[in-house]
Amino acid sequence: MRIARALAALAAGTLIVQPLIAAKDKAEPIYAGPGYIPTEKDERGLWMQAEDAEREVKKSTFVIRDEALNAYVRSVFCRTVSAEACKDVRIYLTRTADFNAMMYPNGMMIVWSGLMLRTRNEAQLAAVLGHEYTHYRNRHSVLGFKNAKKNFALGAWLGGLVGILGQVVAIGSYFTYSRELEAEADTGSIPLLNTAGYDPHAASLVWEQLRSEMDATALARNKKSRKDKTGGMFATHPPTAERMAALKAQADKAAKPESNFLGRAEYKAALAPFWASFVDDQIKLNDFGATEFLLESLAKEGWSSDLLYARGELYRSRGRVEDLPKAAAFYQQAITEGGAPVEAWRGMGLAKLRAGQAEDGKIALKEYLKLKPDATDRSMVAMLAGG
Amino acid sequence: MKGIGTLSAALATGALLAATPVLAAIALKAANVPVVVARSTLTVKPDQAWNKVGRPGRLSESWTLDGTALNELTFYGGIIDGKTLFKEVDKVNRPLPKFSKTMLAPDVVQLFESSYRIALGTPLMTIETVEPATFAGSPGFRFTYSFSATDEVKRKGEARGAIIGDRLYMISYEAPRLHYYDRDLGSFQKIAESASFPVTTKKK
Repeated sequence: MRIARALAALAAGTLIVQPLIAAKDKAEPIYAGPGYIPTEKDERGLWMQAEDAEREVKKSTFVIRDEALNAYVRSVFCRTVSAEACKDVRIYLTRTADFNAMMYPNGMMIVWSGLMLRTRNEAQLAAVLGHEYTHYRNRHSVLGFKNAKKNFALGAWLGGLVGILGQVVAIGSYFTYSRELEAEADTGSIPLLNTAGYDPHAASLVWEQLRSEMDATALARNKKSRKDKTGGMFATHPPTAERMAALKAQADKAAKPESNFLGRAEYKAALAPFWASFVDDQIKLNDFGATEFLLESLAKEGWSSDLLYARGELYRSRGRVEDLPKAAAFYQQAITEGGAPVEAWRGMGLAKLRAGQAEDGKIALKEYLKLKPDATDRSMVAMLAGG
Repeated sequence: MKGIGTLSAALATGALLAATPVLAAIALKAANVPVVVARSTLTVKPDQAWNKVGRPGRLSESWTLDGTALNELTFYGGIIDGKTLFKEVDKVNRPLPKFSKTMLAPDVVQLFESSYRIALGTPLMTIETVEPATFAGSPGFRFTYSFSATDEVKRKGEARGAIIGDRLYMISYEAPRLHYYDRDLGSFQKIAESASFPVTTKKK
């Protein structure tokens, strides 16, 4: 069982997990404000489960432990929800290539690296963190659970199942956020952004980008876009057009002129040490359309050598006849741009060699070996380069 | 190839019992007896008895000593152009990349890595080394790798293979880094070195 997926199921609310149950209850007027401790039985049980899950997460190899990146995300979160409120929440950044974030009833929040790759600036990250925090503050997990209990026989909810995975799956089967609660979390994020000085339009933009990315995935796979589909239990719940429009309208209404901070430069700097590995994870997902969309979006600021190298890798990994010359050209541009990773020579050499340009390919591979004498694939590349 | 995809699908629907393996598929491969693998003519001679436990794909098969979580050999018996290495785990949302007969050895390694990442749902996979090596009498490759799937066990692996007549033939071995990998590596290496395509000799 994929731990990340399993944990996603337990999460009090994930961004894109398909809701099963329409919430019938209105939010109870008790908020999980700073220092909140649950007293009621169901909620205490949920917290206990989440604490078990958190113990697993703490030792997971998927967790990104880099101090600087964690401190940055935390600072954005604290700015968004207030220094006092942020004390109740622990954020775990995990290396998981897809877009998701989730909040657990006990204050554990998980943010996937695929999300950090996709949010474009600090304000967009703040929008997601504010959304998740609203799930926590408004105690959506317990509301969702109570609804589930009303609708299903949950007698064997915990006892009859083996281990944390079984429990997590059982929870996942019955307990995900309703659209109503998702909308409430969306709505909750807008004033938080506003108060913190972030542009509240960042929230709708996150979804807009995701919708466009889903279209791009579908187009490249020659399939119908799933952005407005509502699928099975674990089907990703797409950000619907209504949801995006509602968020935009709320931001328009609430926006204060002084709330205009986007923090692109700050965000880019914080992510910089990880960007290459996050985008490599994305390229290896074999989702050409989404990756190309992402690179093109980032390239609105100009095609940097990193973006060009990534694009070369993307085209070379798809490897269609028409992709290989393009890949070689992107690597060449990355090199010309300056500051490209030395692997650009390797990529260019392999692309050319595979496209039948043997001599040019060998020259590029030799250059790679010259620049990276300790390459882990040295003997293989040397052989392809003709010794 | 770990059978985690199937297990996770079963768990995801809450149907724990459905994850019970089909025991009937297990077959013993005796020591020192040449045996053809993966519905091909690729032949190996194991130095000890292994259990065949299933087929990750139409042209592949898996062997284990103690269960695939502890040691697993996967034989790829001539993957053709346009086919995946093993069965799709989620064709609609996460289609696997496909083999191409024009691939160079590093492309095959990348195909393998990408297929694993998608099938196992993990970005924690690293190719450690790639080098040329002879496989079944043909010029081919050898690479080593490490990965952690969502069971959080740190595993290591080695694969050897070659593209022969536009088809990909390969044998991979993987096991937990602690204890098992080193213990059974020698057996894998002997099996990989025994790989051949026996020529049928004509009677005079």
